[in-house]
Amino acid sequence: MPGQIKISARQIMILTTLFTVGSAILIIPSGMASVAKQDAWIAALVGVGAGLLILYMYSKIASLYPEMTLIGIMETLLGKWLGKAAGLLFFITLFINAPAPVLFYIGNFMTTQMIPETPILAVNILFALIVVLAARLGLEVLVRSAELLFPLFTLLYISFVGLVVSDIKLENVQPVLEAGVGPIWPAALSFCCTVFIPHIIMLMIFPASINRSDQTRKAFFIGSLIGGLMLVVVVTLAILVLGPDLTARNIYPSYALAKKISIGNFLQRIEAIMATMWFISLFFRITLYMHTTVTAIAQIFRLKEDRQLVLPLGMILVIMSIIVYPNVPYQQTYDTKTWVPFSLSIGLLFPLLLLCIHGIRTMWSKKRAESKG
Amino acid sequence: MLSHMVNVLGILLIAAAISLVEVPYMWKKGLKKELWLFSILLFVAVGISCAKALHWLIPTPLDWITAVYRPFSNFLTHIGLIR
Repeated sequence: MPGQIKISARQIMILTTLFTVGSAILIIPSGMASVAKQDAWIAALVGVGAGLLILYMYSKIASLYPEMTLIGIMETLLGKWLGKAAGLLFFITLFINAPAPVLFYIGNFMTTQMIPETPILAVNILFALIVVLAARLGLEVLVRSAELLFPLFTLLYISFVGLVVSDIKLENVQPVLEAGVGPIWPAALSFCCTVFIPHIIMLMIFPASINRSDQTRKAFFIGSLIGGLMLVVVVTLAILVLGPDLTARNIYPSYALAKKISIGNFLQRIEAIMATMWFISLFFRITLYMHTTVTAIAQIFRLKEDRQLVLPLGMILVIMSIIVYPNVPYQQTYDTKTWVPFSLSIGLLFPLLLLCIHGIRTMWSKKRAESKG
Repeated sequence: MLSHMVNVLGILLIAAAISLVEVPYMWKKGLKKELWLFSILLFVAVGISCAKALHWLIPTPLDWITAVYRPFSNFLTHIGLIR
């Protein structure tokens, strides 16, 4: 339960980094390259900037209510029952929009790229098993495993970047800004929505279960910045090595990038090792989603213990992951057409609404105090 | 048809295993609300899974979200923020 769990600033930084890199490292370069062509790397940088602004808003909300989680903030600001209803709606829609699709990505990635003869359900069940195991053990175990796996992740990432760098062709990014700045905005928006807006769920753990909140805001920002820059580098490399057309045509450009690694015709076909990187980051993304969903349900219904809900929720997760997207074209249209407005509404408009209500309430209580005094 | 039944049986077995793991603890501790929520979630999970195992047509819930967000999405497309 929140309040009992305490994690340190360094742990929240590592967790935020892994959460930021999350599923985006697999899917984001393709969509961005199809919109912004060779300028996708500029769009990614713009996206990181806009994302940090959004994160500033989240940390502002967190600092206004340092003892509460997102559900607690909703209940204080919207009233008890409306807050509970809003929280429930928020987390139900988020559940079918975030963890289930991420599980679909990993299943789809495995069955299309690595083990094509295995049914997607088998991959999803196996992956969901470790997610459920981690979510059941709680946040402290999760952050410690993040600390353990982070060096491996960094090592893989650095070797990935280092080994791909030799294939760079600078012609691929030229001419810079061929179509003007117009296509940059949609690409940056999709980057921001996929990578940074889901950070709103960090408000479930961010202020309430941290032991020193002064350092955590910084750690939260640094973690997101590191993760965001990692993604910018991956997008840039995909454009530089594969070129904008090939990047847009691949579903998983970073995997295609890893296939390119060939040092002296000797060190090659190591893309499966590189895929470990994605498993790590996707694992932390899904597990954090699961953990926050379970704690949110527990807080909405005022439960004493929450880990009992993980197993049935895991079962729903597995079945939803094969229901949500009937096929890959549906996923691509959904991710561009509906995920962007959906995430804007829950991650930008909704927190803004909460901040407005907070402002009105403080003004009101001040006026009341003045009229009484 | 038989294979469908086997699938449903497998889902029920998994649900039974999950209940065996979780229910005795909650029962002993008298966690009534937890038990209710656990049962509701498990019931939903078994329901959807069985429907899927029997090859019923299940609409994806994302269709509804798409329908709700269509005006907003069209607006963003109109001002050029979605391509």
